[in-house]
Amino acid sequence: MSSAATVGIVLVSHSAALAEGAAELAGQIGGGTVPIIPAGGTEDGGIGTSSAKVERSLRLADAGAGVVILPDLGSAVLTVRALLAEPRDDLPQSVALADAPFVEGLVAATVAAATGADVKAVLAAAEEARHARKL
Amino acid sequence: MPASYERAIKLSGDLHARPAGALAVAAAKFASSVELTVGVNSANAKSVLGVMGLGATTGEHVTVSAAGPDAEEAVATVIAILTEATRVGA
Repeated sequence: MSSAATVGIVLVSHSAALAEGAAELAGQIGGGTVPIIPAGGTEDGGIGTSSAKVERSLRLADAGAGVVILPDLGSAVLTVRALLAEPRDDLPQSVALADAPFVEGLVAATVAAATGADVKAVLAAAEEARHARKL
Repeated sequence: MPASYERAIKLSGDLHARPAGALAVAAAKFASSVELTVGVNSANAKSVLGVMGLGATTGEHVTVSAAGPDAEEAVATVIAILTEATRVGA
């Protein structure tokens, strides 16, 4: 299940601050071994999502093992889906979009990636977070 | 080598998010299943959200149990992380 490279994570949020804060939190929990790249807000710093930001973040996050993307809300999903709809040579080969809670999914995915799990296992860890109880 | 192994520890601090992450990453490296029990609640030590969900705090007893080929080493590793991570001032 493990490979030499660590799976990277991209956070697609409507808010730059939300994506950056979540990345900072998960970076602490994961011990700093997993590339977690925030892609929040529009190009001019507003609330929204940016396909160009997601593209850049995917390249930054990929260390050769692929990338799992965590979207915060609906239209972040649309932005990612539109970007991934057509095959592209200039984006990482293995990219998966997670249907998961933003914070819990990120924390679970970060820990899975830190153990050397592949994209499929990191995606599964993120999506299983939906069932974790907080109380 | 025993197939299952168990040890308990009294926490000297709360089990926060950061040590929970370190614990889950460490536990995942063992082939054995590893479980934490606090009172009536149990969690898979390899699940960071499960470990956080235990809400283990200072003075509580955590039982670490493992079953599998590397059970004893897994328990020793998790106990060491719990000892270090919840040390007051750590």
